[in-house]
Amino acid sequence: MTSNTPCLSFSGVSKSFVSRDGEIVRAVENVTFDVPRGTVACLVGMTGCGKTTILRLAAGLETPDSGTIVSPSGEIGYLTQQHTLLPWMTTTDNIGLPLKVKGMNDAARKARVNEIMEALGLAGFGSLYPYELSGGMRQRAAIGRLMASESSCWLLDEPFSSLDERTRHQLQKLLLETAAATNVTVLFVTHSIDEAVWLADRIYIVSAWPGRIIESLEIAEPKPRDRISDAFGARMEAVRKRLEAAIG
Amino acid sequence: MSSDAKWQDSAPVKYALGSIIPGLVILAWWLGARSGSAVVPSFGEVFNVLTHPFDEPPDLNSRSLAFSVMMTLIRLFLGFALAIATAVPLGILAARNHVVEYVFSPIVELARPINPIVLLPIITVLLGVSSIATVVYGQTEAWRHDVPDQVQTAMILILWYGAFFPIYTATIQGVRSVGTAWLETMRLMGADNAQTIRHVILPHTLPFIANGMRIALGTVWLVVIAAEIFPGTRSGLGYMLCTACKTSEYEYTFSAIIVIGAIGLVTNSLLRRFEERTGHWRAVQR
Ligand SMILES: Nc1ncnc2c1ncn2[C@@H]1O[C@H](COP(=O)(O)OP(=O)(O)OP(=O)(O)O)[C@@H](O)[C@H]1O
Ligand SMILES: [Mg+2]
Repeated sequence: MTSNTPCLSFSGVSKSFVSRDGEIVRAVENVTFDVPRGTVACLVGMTGCGKTTILRLAAGLETPDSGTIVSPSGEIGYLTQQHTLLPWMTTTDNIGLPLKVKGMNDAARKARVNEIMEALGLAGFGSLYPYELSGGMRQRAAIGRLMASESSCWLLDEPFSSLDERTRHQLQKLLLETAAATNVTVLFVTHSIDEAVWLADRIYIVSAWPGRIIESLEIAEPKPRDRISDAFGARMEAVRKRLEAAIG
Repeated sequence: MSSDAKWQDSAPVKYALGSIIPGLVILAWWLGARSGSAVVPSFGEVFNVLTHPFDEPPDLNSRSLAFSVMMTLIRLFLGFALAIATAVPLGILAARNHVVEYVFSPIVELARPINPIVLLPIITVLLGVSSIATVVYGQTEAWRHDVPDQVQTAMILILWYGAFFPIYTATIQGVRSVGTAWLETMRLMGADNAQTIRHVILPHTLPFIANGMRIALGTVWLVVIAAEIFPGTRSGLGYMLCTACKTSEYEYTFSAIIVIGAIGLVTNSLLRRFEERTGHWRAVQR
């Protein structure tokens, strides 16, 4: 694993928006960070601090006002904060869409989609439309579509926040396993310190207005991490302290 | 009224209430027929026409009821199909491309308020007797092909005109309201233009188009009957009801009116079903 070449890299990136009444909102300012290939980085920060903006910039959906972004274009899977499943397609078709777009044949696609649905606990729900699914199931279907996309860099915007704890832990585990098996690079936005400490190789703390990365914490403990260990508790405490200091 | 189960909402009561006005109309008809008016035919005469749709009217210079219905539906179908085939692609194009939009939107805004029937005389003069048959088989051979020779190009053009705008406008509205997030998703997936149209834009726009089609059909159904009443036609429901008035065979006029209403009702409810099927996902927001 060439874990030193960054898969995703921001240097001095700033982005502001002009609101409807002409006010300038400095969403992110001078943001610099790398995510080495095959690692998991978490962005943690309070609401409105610019996390989604950072992901959109990384995906190439926004252009920065200044600074440079290096990202593997065409290799990006983006799971948005609000799911973007297509409401006129069944779960099966939604999950299989990236494969269909790539031109995979029906039989192979069906097999792969079934495999993914099995892993996500969606087996048996394939013929339902998104509006017929519960919120958590929709979220899992969106994750399924991401898995089907076979991209090498995942941008995940609070993907598990609407799920119950047990499912969340299962999916966190699945995420790490899938990422490790396919050498996927992950940039993960979360509000949960527990989640960040459990998943991340590196945590970036983002301050608000303007959004800046004010802390970078490496977490070297091997995975999977033990949530009830003292070390884990101590880590969480440390991150919490820094976050509170940052918010001030 | 605050109670949940309201008396008027049970099915038999609903049907009974809905039958009041049609009942009054039938009563008026019956009274008219009884009064000995020469204009109002009896139920029996009209029933007889409706149950023998293939009989040629004896004195009337018109073909059978079934043939008239067929001619009207052929014209309607051709004009309508042509409108769908042009309005949908053009609407998609105009909604996604400013150049196309700027080329078409002034003429569309200008032409839309002009009632198609207003244009019928001038278009009939311009296109003369040209029909599907003259186009396909040539001027001299056209008379050998009865049915296509009675499908006048002027009429198809007018029907196209009547149906085009509601469908075009609905298509644009549908395409414009596609969520950006879906388009971004498709872009990140590496989808090309055709794939984005097929998987996102069309399915999203289809219920809008269906709604536009329903509005268009309402217009076109009026236009086709009106156009058949104009000179230059030898067939169709409009022609039948008009000539029947001239020869005082009012049972044919009444039958044609009933058939026009029934076909309008059926086609409208079919399109409503289509609209519901293509838009089932819109019903639930959560
Ligand atoms: N298109 C836009 N136009 C105007 N302002 C915007 C736009 N997008 C984002 N902003 C502003 O940029 C700031 C950062 O927004 P962003 O969505 O990145 O926050 P976030 O960290 O993801 O918040 P949350 O945790 O609530 O999702 C906010 O103040 C927001 O109002
Ligand atoms: Mg956000």
